[in-house]
Amino acid sequence: MIPTKTWILLISAFLLLSVAAGLILYLGPAPGTVANIYRDGVPVRSVDLSLVTEPYEFTLTDERGSNVIRVEPGRISVAEADCPDGICVKTGWISDSAAPIVCLPHRLVIRIEQTAAAESGPVPDTVSR
Amino acid sequence: MKKGAGRLTLDALFTAFALTIFVIELRIPSIGIPGVKLGLANIVTVAAAFLIGPWDAGAVLLCRVLLGGVFSGQIMALWYSLAGGTLCWLTMLPLRKLLTGKQIWVMSVIGAVAHNVGQILVALAVTRTAAILYYFPVLMVSGVLAGLFTGAAAQLAVNRLEPVLKKRF
Repeated sequence: MIPTKTWILLISAFLLLSVAAGLILYLGPAPGTVANIYRDGVPVRSVDLSLVTEPYEFTLTDERGSNVIRVEPGRISVAEADCPDGICVKTGWISDSAAPIVCLPHRLVIRIEQTAAAESGPVPDTVSR
Repeated sequence: MKKGAGRLTLDALFTAFALTIFVIELRIPSIGIPGVKLGLANIVTVAAAFLIGPWDAGAVLLCRVLLGGVFSGQIMALWYSLAGGTLCWLTMLPLRKLLTGKQIWVMSVIGAVAHNVGQILVALAVTRTAAILYYFPVLMVSGVLAGLFTGAAAQLAVNRLEPVLKKRF
């Protein structure tokens, strides 16, 4: 039998390691200014947040549902979504962090990266200025 | 292990416990990070592994996950639970023999972490985006903390239920 102390040590070590990995990941340097939006891992839209002067919204819809993406100078968020958990909306704004916005029910991920992965700019017919 | 009706009754009882706790936890709002939750039903899974054995605990877990999917009405969540539950259960098989009666909480911690690993794997497969790995450290930390909490509860439950079950079954 393994003594309880060993278990406590193992679990503490794992906890410390995870916290350290988290700190390195989350406090790391800003990755870039381009918000890349992926669906099913495929880039569908890119927005260079440093070039945004006026706030605007656009809607991404597919058969699973829709997400209203709001863009402001330097930041991006999901303003509305019809997914069951609404976690993407709760995540709020992301600007220069490594944190992605994830909408698992709609398989949608928004990441801040260095370069645009998809065609830049908003969809013309869904822009509301 | 008791055979026949006694065993079936016990398994059904544990499934009812787990499902009730699971449905109550559905009412607790999410804090906004996918996959971060207490996982209170894990208390029953861990307690069951010690009280009725890992195989019956696996059956209870499977029934709870499937019925939980029906009760919550979220089919996608079912896949996350299934993957998480399977990995959690796989860690139980060796741990059940390794742990003493006072180390039951350890199984809860390792099980919770394994459960979260399973969920991340499904999320990775679903979104096909490595950005999901960003949540890995968060889910590991939340797994340990939630596991400690549910583990403490499971420890108490087993210590109190074991003498009763020994007498009656």
